[in-house]
Amino acid sequence: MKFTKIAVATATTAALALGLAACGSSEPATETAPKADASAGGKKFAGETLTLWRLGESNPAAQKYTDALVAAFEAETGAKTKVEWIPWPQVNDKFTAAAAGGAGPDVTEIGNDQVPLWRSQDALHPITAVFGGGDHAQIPKNLLSLETDGGEIYAAPWGAGTRAVLYRKDWFDELKIEAPKTWDEVIAAAKKIQEKKGKDVDGFAFNGGSDANHLLGALAWAEGGEYALKEGDKWVGKLTDPAFKAGFDTYTKIVTEGLSSKSRLGQNSADIRTRFANGKVGMYLTAGWDIATIKEESSGKVAEDQLAFFPLPSKSGGAAPAFFGGNDIAVWNDAKNKDLATEFVKFSTTKEWAGRYASEGGLLPIYPEQLEKLKEDPAQAPFAEAFANAKALPADSNWTEAGETKAVLQNAARSVIEGKATADEALAKANTELEEILNQQ
Amino acid sequence: MANTSTLARGGGNPPASGRPPTRSRRRTKASGMPEWVIPYVLLIPGLLVIAGLLLYPTIQMVIMSFQKVGLRQIRGVPAESVGTENYTQIFESEIFWSSLRNTVTFAVVTVALTLILGTAVGTLLNRLSRKMSTFVVVGIMSAWAVPPVAQGVIWRWLFDADAGIINWALNLLPDWFSELLFGRSDWTGEPWLNDAFTIYLVLIVCVVWASFPFIAVSVLAGLKGIPAELYEAARVDGSGAWRTFRTITLPLLRPVFAVLTILSIIWNFKVFSQLYVLMGGPNNREAFNLSMFSFAEAFRSPPKMGSGAAIAVVLTLLLLVVTAFYVRQIVKTEEM
Repeated sequence: MKFTKIAVATATTAALALGLAACGSSEPATETAPKADASAGGKKFAGETLTLWRLGESNPAAQKYTDALVAAFEAETGAKTKVEWIPWPQVNDKFTAAAAGGAGPDVTEIGNDQVPLWRSQDALHPITAVFGGGDHAQIPKNLLSLETDGGEIYAAPWGAGTRAVLYRKDWFDELKIEAPKTWDEVIAAAKKIQEKKGKDVDGFAFNGGSDANHLLGALAWAEGGEYALKEGDKWVGKLTDPAFKAGFDTYTKIVTEGLSSKSRLGQNSADIRTRFANGKVGMYLTAGWDIATIKEESSGKVAEDQLAFFPLPSKSGGAAPAFFGGNDIAVWNDAKNKDLATEFVKFSTTKEWAGRYASEGGLLPIYPEQLEKLKEDPAQAPFAEAFANAKALPADSNWTEAGETKAVLQNAARSVIEGKATADEALAKANTELEEILNQQ
Repeated sequence: MANTSTLARGGGNPPASGRPPTRSRRRTKASGMPEWVIPYVLLIPGLLVIAGLLLYPTIQMVIMSFQKVGLRQIRGVPAESVGTENYTQIFESEIFWSSLRNTVTFAVVTVALTLILGTAVGTLLNRLSRKMSTFVVVGIMSAWAVPPVAQGVIWRWLFDADAGIINWALNLLPDWFSELLFGRSDWTGEPWLNDAFTIYLVLIVCVVWASFPFIAVSVLAGLKGIPAELYEAARVDGSGAWRTFRTITLPLLRPVFAVLTILSIIWNFKVFSQLYVLMGGPNNREAFNLSMFSFAEAFRSPPKMGSGAAIAVVLTLLLLVVTAFYVRQIVKTEEM
């Protein structure tokens, strides 16, 4: 049976080849860096080009601001700027590819909670000198805590973004619902919406995706819970505390009580926004900049006057502490011309441009005098209120791994919702894992 | 069949070469190499390609599995050796064991289903008229030709909770029938792609759908090679269909089945794209298989290429062991 032998030999070779091929390492995709084209003479950086990564969707308001900023920067320095938009849920993967492949931006927008991680990966260039004087000396020092490491500052705050509940104002008016003041009212409103608008509408959308901790965090903090606290130089998980558990229960009940469908346990705020724009969501927790994108994504079907925000209420009433988010702008460590990149960061975070970034992008300004003014604006009041008692997630370079990559709490919630574990079991397991991740070197 | 092709291949040469010995001596002189070296020299380019594309990355992977490799190391900081720490870490991880279970269970079920369905369809094709057979082959091969990501997208849509045709179709069933079959009649919004078990159910359907055509066509090719006289003799002796299949078709097709089984095992062990699409990225840890776990470790931030490589090494070894065991079994039965 010669044929058999040959067949076996062929198959074995194929097996080896395929098996090995399956495990070969793959190169991350790289993007071609922009070519500098010579133009405009006389200015300091004339003829140079830099690449800016803006995060999020390029909605008209953000696009308009960016165009104006880029034009003003060119008038000032002569350097052209190439802008690329990176959707939020892809940011970490894009940064990873950029840092590994060396084809990243020169300047990038970055979430303030992402700064410690990317600083620890040597991906950011220090810009401490920027804060030496001028406008930048007026930025409150507590806004620089995540950005500072070993006496150097690695990113400049651009705007502060906190979270509030975005809701369909027209539906609330139609169904005669008041903007909820307590969590029970949120539940009642959600149920009423589902009753009238159809079973496939999520009354209050559950976020179980990459940014799930913005929602879970707010609910847990409202009860007085914490994720983890640093005791000495070690993180100690607090997930099993009754206070955190109470918030976690509120969180999982969004699904188990039917306010949000069980089939979308993994959706992040961008997925929810798409469904919201299609009229399939009544309320969800998000930041101010979503309004512009929703207008764009629904091609005008959901207009600005149909939308409004209210601060996420805690169970006992009053605003729950919101996630203290913020967007920074930083110099990428592989920038071709670091002076030019630093100049761009400095220019874009002056009072004028950081102020416009906040007011046009639906964020809170970083300069105290501008923030004071904002509290008088009714549209921004929910955010200002939430910002007053905003809280941050554990400030550690390993947090991203726990909160997004390993999705520790998202998985705990999933197992509780699917009835595979009790909240106590799931949280005990999550607590061990959280400590392990946060304390690794 | 084998004879014919050998004749055809050799057919062109012997008549043309009038003086074979002279020509071969002349060739030896011209190249300055003894004749026995030539085959090896001719193999060198192929070996170089394999070494460059397979061997080097594999060796790198094994080296990396003993190192701590993150972004800093990729960016130029020399990687430190951590001994077997990556391995102890993954063996202690719960995700590893659930991934291993998922990988093996999925492979066993899918290989069995693919082979059974493929053989059945292949046998059917052999009985069809030429036109009909061509028609069916073209039909099923177009399923096979769908790229893995597109396969995932197609089945993800079919099983979508709100807009999927599966839930819609299940709802169309008469209530009593659905109740009898599944113990429920309302399928509205049934989330198929939440739970590890149902994700794998959909994945099995998806992978079997896309891979049985290849088996069917290969079996058909094998069947065409079995002399018709054997079947005639069997019929004369009064053998039934099942018996004919067991005593004639199966033994004669054993070499074909050997190759197909090994290929199926390999393909199904390392399925990735379809699972990635069905799950919507590496989110649900309970539904990871080893490839997905390796990917998540190595490429999600912060990248841990060391432990990713360690998982890949384990997967490779596992595959080699399974394949080696299976090949040995075949060789053994042949010798008896």
